[in-house]
Amino acid sequence: MRRNPSSYPLTWHLMDILEAVFSKIWPKGGGLWNPYLMLSPAILLIGLLVLGLGYIGDISLRTLDTSTFLFSEEWSLTNYERALTEPFIRSVIWRSILGATIVTMITLLLAFPYTYVMVRTRSAFLRKFLLIALFLPFFIGQVVRAYGWLIILGKQGIVNDILGLVGIEPLRMLFNYPSVLFGLVQYMFPFAVLMLAPALTAIPEEIEAASESLGASWVETMLHVVLPMAKPGLIGAGLVVLTLSLTDFAMPAILGGGTQDFVANAIYDQFFRTSDQGFGSSLAVILIVIGSLLVWVIFMLVGAGTLALGAKDK
Amino acid sequence: MNQPISQKLFFWILVVISIITLSAPTLVVLGASLTSGNIIVFPPDGLSLKWYEALVEKQELQDAFIRSIWVAMICVFISLPTGTLAGVALTKYRLRKRALIQTYLLLPFTIPLIGSGIGLMLVFGEVGILGSLWPVGVATAVINLPFMIWAVSSSAAGLDPDLELAAQSCGAGPVQTFFYVTLPSVMPGIITGSLLMFILSLNEFLVSLLLVDARIVTLPVQVYNSIRSIITPDLAAVSVVFIAVAMLAITVLDKLVGLEIFLKSK
Repeated sequence: MRRNPSSYPLTWHLMDILEAVFSKIWPKGGGLWNPYLMLSPAILLIGLLVLGLGYIGDISLRTLDTSTFLFSEEWSLTNYERALTEPFIRSVIWRSILGATIVTMITLLLAFPYTYVMVRTRSAFLRKFLLIALFLPFFIGQVVRAYGWLIILGKQGIVNDILGLVGIEPLRMLFNYPSVLFGLVQYMFPFAVLMLAPALTAIPEEIEAASESLGASWVETMLHVVLPMAKPGLIGAGLVVLTLSLTDFAMPAILGGGTQDFVANAIYDQFFRTSDQGFGSSLAVILIVIGSLLVWVIFMLVGAGTLALGAKDK
Repeated sequence: MNQPISQKLFFWILVVISIITLSAPTLVVLGASLTSGNIIVFPPDGLSLKWYEALVEKQELQDAFIRSIWVAMICVFISLPTGTLAGVALTKYRLRKRALIQTYLLLPFTIPLIGSGIGLMLVFGEVGILGSLWPVGVATAVINLPFMIWAVSSSAAGLDPDLELAAQSCGAGPVQTFFYVTLPSVMPGIITGSLLMFILSLNEFLVSLLLVDARIVTLPVQVYNSIRSIITPDLAAVSVVFIAVAMLAITVLDKLVGLEIFLKSK
């Protein structure tokens, strides 16, 4: 009772052809499933980035001749010396590091309870609501969010309008350090929650119940049971927030109004205002080094947390 | 488990602060786009849709929007196959130098965006393709690729390797096994990852800013350039486009895989 092969579904023929082609190319079979081959497109794509870093490194060693607007043929460390001694650049670097640290602490402080409530709540509706409240800003992008803050905090903004109704003079709430940090906290919040959520989900609720049945108060349970168990998530979240806010461009540019530049803004200005690509590149290298050092120190101290990609053997 | 009042209070105060901080800009932009006045004031002058009507005549905003959609589509087109293969490879196989590969694949996250953007600008400039739109799509694919790999690898972790062996012992070749067994089982990850890539690419601002010139500005760059001059309600109406796309993406994500997928432990 064999059917005629020509009456087989089209997809079967297609698959046969594909299998035939496949075994022609890799006669031993399974060649494509060589994991390194599967990884190669991703490695090549990210190779573009490495190539770009090479260019940055090269230009950063060449000084700009301001009379001819040409770069020097020889390599020298002049740009780096300038970057590390110029008071303006130093203050920008410190402002970025300090800002990123403050933003990380505030973000974690707010994101932890948010994630905890979202993970632990019995109400499916509340969980969904918190998820949507989280994803909406995450999916909207920095520029639009910063624009929203401009409307709220601006001199003719909503807060000042409301203050005006009760007779308070308009306050200057924008274009200062706190407004940039505030904008960054709001920008980083969803990243932190998404890094924390899997870690908190992994903590069984019974452990908290056990802790409390042994007489611990909820504060003790949080501090001695939940927080230590959530450590990988907190590290992952902290690392992401720290590096992203350290290197952010949009919030200092829009909410800082040019007076609260972070390193990224200084780099941009060197490339597009001063046109000193060499100096700008040396700043970029310094920023990369600072960021990597911070990450490396935290990795060494406490491990990679939840950042490890696709690691089953944790 | 009954939580004590003090715990509830502590958590809820922080959660409410968070919700307000998260939602305020979105709500205000929505409100501002509906004002009937020429400037944005509170309380609003009245409701109208005139700023949306004004958008119809703003050709440059529409062009910028279409360019942004193109960029996002190119980004997904590149990152979907690339990230899927890498995600499956990372989860299914024991790799030598695993830590090194992971660190390398995380480079887009560890290198500051401004560094990646300028690096890619120099590379594209050297090849002479700066000024076209597709390199912007490639760039957004590169800088967000770890999201795609992460989404696929976390859903591939649930894939039982015995299933693939079963398929092969039933006579399926490697191609059939991949398309009928491996791929469907990582589908939630692929959908999540692609949506994330699309949205992040659509919203990408800094790398866009570095790679576009005046002829090919994308929508986020267009909005940025405009808010630096003067804040008018028509800009709020444009921003609502972003909000609408975000809402659509969230709905699709929720219907297809469920937002709760992000709460799952790996």
